Amino acid sequence: MRRRLAALAVLLVVTVSAAACGDDASGSGASSDGERVSVAITVEDGATTPSGATVEVPVGEEVDLVVTADEPGQIHVHSDPETELDYEGTGEPETFTLRIDRPGQVEVESHTHGTLIAKLVVS
Amino acid sequence: MSLGPHLTGDLSAHGIGGQADLPIPLNLAIAGGVAALVISFTVLAVAWRTPRYDEDGGGRPAPALLGRLVASVGFRVGLRVLGLVVLLFSIAAAVFGRESQINPVFGIFYVWLWVGVVAVSVLLGPFWKAISPVRTINLLFAKVAGGDPDEGLYRYPERLGHWPAALGLFAFVWFELVYPAAYELGPLRLWCAVYLAVMLLGGALFGNRFFELADPFEVYSTLASKLSVWAVQDGALVLRSPLANLATVPVRPGLIAVTGVLFGSTGFDSFSESSAWVTYVQGSSVDGEVLNNLALVVFCLGAIGVFALGSVLTGVGPERRRRTLPDAYAHSLVPIVVGYVIAHYLTLLVEIGTRTLILASDPFSKGWDILGTGDWSEPTWLSYHPTVLASIKVLAVVIGHVLAAVAAHDRAIRLLPRRSHLTGQLPLLVAMVGFTAGGLFLLFSA
Repeated sequence: MRRRLAALAVLLVVTVSAAACGDDASGSGASSDGERVSVAITVEDGATTPSGATVEVPVGEEVDLVVTADEPGQIHVHSDPETELDYEGTGEPETFTLRIDRPGQVEVESHTHGTLIAKLVVS
Repeated sequence: MSLGPHLTGDLSAHGIGGQADLPIPLNLAIAGGVAALVISFTVLAVAWRTPRYDEDGGGRPAPALLGRLVASVGFRVGLRVLGLVVLLFSIAAAVFGRESQINPVFGIFYVWLWVGVVAVSVLLGPFWKAISPVRTINLLFAKVAGGDPDEGLYRYPERLGHWPAALGLFAFVWFELVYPAAYELGPLRLWCAVYLAVMLLGGALFGNRFFELADPFEVYSTLASKLSVWAVQDGALVLRSPLANLATVPVRPGLIAVTGVLFGSTGFDSFSESSAWVTYVQGSSVDGEVLNNLALVVFCLGAIGVFALGSVLTGVGPERRRRTLPDAYAHSLVPIVVGYVIAHYLTLLVEIGTRTLILASDPFSKGWDILGTGDWSEPTWLSYHPTVLASIKVLAVVIGHVLAAVAAHDRAIRLLPRRSHLTGQLPLLVAMVGFTAGGLFLLFSA
């Protein structure tokens, strides 16, 4: 029995580590052409778009949040440490540039309306 | 849950977020799922045909010195003092500290207590029972009144079993994951005050038996401790295999509800952070809070229902009642719960757990450094090595699954008549594979 269990353990480790090693090739498809990632955000009549979108962002590279709003407000970027962006809401696009150095998922929320605008998948 | 630093001190209406883990890669999730599936059926096919584990547990005696240390008055009192000091410290921070994410009480409650105590229990044994401040206060009351802390005014009604603990655990996860103001001091103080009041009242009425069966944190911690190698048998410290230890979980009414709430709520935590669910909630005309409440209930009841169904779909002998089976098997869900909890909360425990210790050095945000930890930095190594992190997560889930499958197999051949040994286990195994695949899917997609 002990030998069978050992065989199971070996099988398990091999399967999982094989999968782990094969992982390195995957990247973020959205910006592989070298262009910087840009997220267009619209705030109109109290509604924000996009709503809960997923955006792939390469780690350590700059990403633009382009906000077009009809009134002033604040966006929270839940990176570590957190970033707060105050937009004026003139109806003209306002660009905020971020750079996130730590891999992970970062929520971009409308602090004014309490909604999740997008999730930046930084890898 | 993602608990982030609101260094500015204000609280957003839409929960608190620091940076969250990356999703695990698809190939790793699939590899884990396939491994779980293959191993499950291998266990069924090749494992022993007569039960190996029973309620006695057995085991080898631990080194005598260690046994004496653990049994010593100083050791026990030291742990009780530790629990009481952390409780008093938390009360001070919750009452006099700032209404802000830099108040350490949130990390103490949501990370140290909810995740840390379980992690320590898996490694070292029933930790909450040893430090539980409600047990300590009950003990002090008994000493003052000249009574016995084990004895209350009444006998604990045995048919209540673990149901109060399941309810308490649900109250915790509801507060943590659904209640919108979980990161404000007022509601947190209220929750904890109600918890303390119910526990002390229960202790006075039913004695220590109440804590053993009905304290949600003790029940969770003691269940997790059954995956450790430590046990006390006839007053002596013994070492035994986690599987042998797990088989000694007492079968009580409501055990299935405890494990179901723990698994379902952790799944809901992943699910509720997924883009798909958030987008749906934000686009729905129904209030988001209502939807999240419903989803939490569905996840918990779903976990209980699937497991119960998997347990009862079998042939049983004339001496056994079918509806006792879910509780009789429920211990086997513990490794799945713990594996998934490790996967889900590992970075939170390491990073925010340390951050809490840093913040605890200045509990009232006055620039103090009373613990000397104020200048520590968070260990972010795991976050910077996402492939290693993802592999640990998948391994934790798969190892949990293997232990669960073996534990269920051993219990099945004890409970079921010979003709149902193989077929009777299949539905439960399918339920477990479903849980593991579901857990991996959530780790991949959220």
